[in-house]
Amino acid sequence: MERKDELINLFSKNVREILNKVALNFDEVQEIRLRVAAPLMLVYRNEEYYLTGSGNISKKLEEAYHITKNELKETMEYMSNYSLYAFEEELKQGFLTVQGGHRIGIAGKTILDESGIKTMKYISFINIRLSHQVKGCASPILPFVYKNQREVCHTLIISPPRCGKTTLLRDLIRQISDGTREFEGMNVGVVDERSEIGACYQGAPQNDLGIRTDILDCCPKAKGMMMLIRTMSPRVIAVDEVGSREDLDAIEYVMNCGCKLIATVHGSSIEDLRQKPVLRTLLEERIFERYIVLNNLGRIGNIDQIFDSRGTQLYQANIFGTGVRPDRQESRAYG
Amino acid sequence: MGNTWLRLAGAALVIVSCSGLGFYMASQWNEHLKTVEHLRKMIFLLKGEIVYANSPLAEAFERTGRKAGGQMGDLFLKVSERLMGQRGESFYGIWQEEIDGLPKEVCLSSEDKQNLKGLGEHLGYLDTGMQERTILLYLEQLDLSIDYLRNHKQEKSRLYTSLGIMGGLFLTIVMY
Repeated sequence: MERKDELINLFSKNVREILNKVALNFDEVQEIRLRVAAPLMLVYRNEEYYLTGSGNISKKLEEAYHITKNELKETMEYMSNYSLYAFEEELKQGFLTVQGGHRIGIAGKTILDESGIKTMKYISFINIRLSHQVKGCASPILPFVYKNQREVCHTLIISPPRCGKTTLLRDLIRQISDGTREFEGMNVGVVDERSEIGACYQGAPQNDLGIRTDILDCCPKAKGMMMLIRTMSPRVIAVDEVGSREDLDAIEYVMNCGCKLIATVHGSSIEDLRQKPVLRTLLEERIFERYIVLNNLGRIGNIDQIFDSRGTQLYQANIFGTGVRPDRQESRAYG
Repeated sequence: MGNTWLRLAGAALVIVSCSGLGFYMASQWNEHLKTVEHLRKMIFLLKGEIVYANSPLAEAFERTGRKAGGQMGDLFLKVSERLMGQRGESFYGIWQEEIDGLPKEVCLSSEDKQNLKGLGEHLGYLDTGMQERTILLYLEQLDLSIDYLRNHKQEKSRLYTSLGIMGGLFLTIVMY
């Protein structure tokens, strides 16, 4: 099944018809948004457009096709494959992962019980984030991530939202797992708490994470990291979006076990991390050996700066997007 | 003389065919019971898939259909295939159509089919607890059907076979 067909089948009949007429390259569509009584929207090449009833994209609100309550309900039925009950845990977290690895964010009325969010009803807002694999996007950072031919550094990728940190992490995992001409492949354990990295559908990863990668899908990061070490003996553990106190304990455990850790975190700079109590501890204790900061200028996974554990800048992107290595310039970002 | 032989042959044919019909009716009762018992096993498997394995309907129907086999297994497989096809049909619609399309050889009464359709009305709706309760309700209906079929099995088998034989004899006498 083609990417477009696979995606279109997730929507209600009317929306299917509209999307079928859309003459865009779906590999470059980033998001599709549905909101009750609001226009059908699409993000294409970083630009937001309205979709018209005839399947054209437009910037004029009056031409937009508006989504009805029933269409949203029907869409939810297809997205959950008629089985919303099977996504109870995901609903609590506000997302589903569907075939093809696409992430469906949902919002509506939450139902609470003693333990927190029980489920969600009146789902009125849906955001489909299309999964993208950009093979090779991690190649520029590989020389910084590897210590030598057989060992990688503890690495933290820092990035604002929608800059491609998960895409970069995904490709980094793939390359470490498969190995390259210069570096040999090694076992990688991935704790994919929100099914975003591997985008597993019925247990099978929809994204290529390499031949030596084991994935713990939908597992809390802290527990998953410990489980993987005990069971799969990985040489590298990769996780997305660390930040809680629990994560910090698990990170220390991973590092004491001789495993290397590659993680991502939301933020725009090293200074930004300093403002967050848990992450500040990571910086102060010099736990990570490499900090890779991304920016949202240009392509996905655009590298802004790379620092080592002491804060020495190893790489700085210039205005043209091509990097320079300030080898002798001892510019310290922190510490 | 020839006429008598012809009459005797005719009488024998009538008796054999009427008795055969009686035996057939009795065996259908047994077959009906077996089908409902098989269906009950399948629904238990389906419950396991949904409640314990937390599988979506398409996957649960596919696994159950493969394990169970037979014509009822085929029904589950067809439903699963259509669900996976994502052609924009409702689950209840698919379920009803496939039950209506069951081959005539499947020994299910119209009431059984109606109950089976009823199962599909609430499947997939709300949480796992709701799925479990819907399935348990249907299992209760199946248990009642099985009890009725079992309790009346001997009586009905005897009734159909003797009615067949006696009917054959009666027709023979009337025609002779």
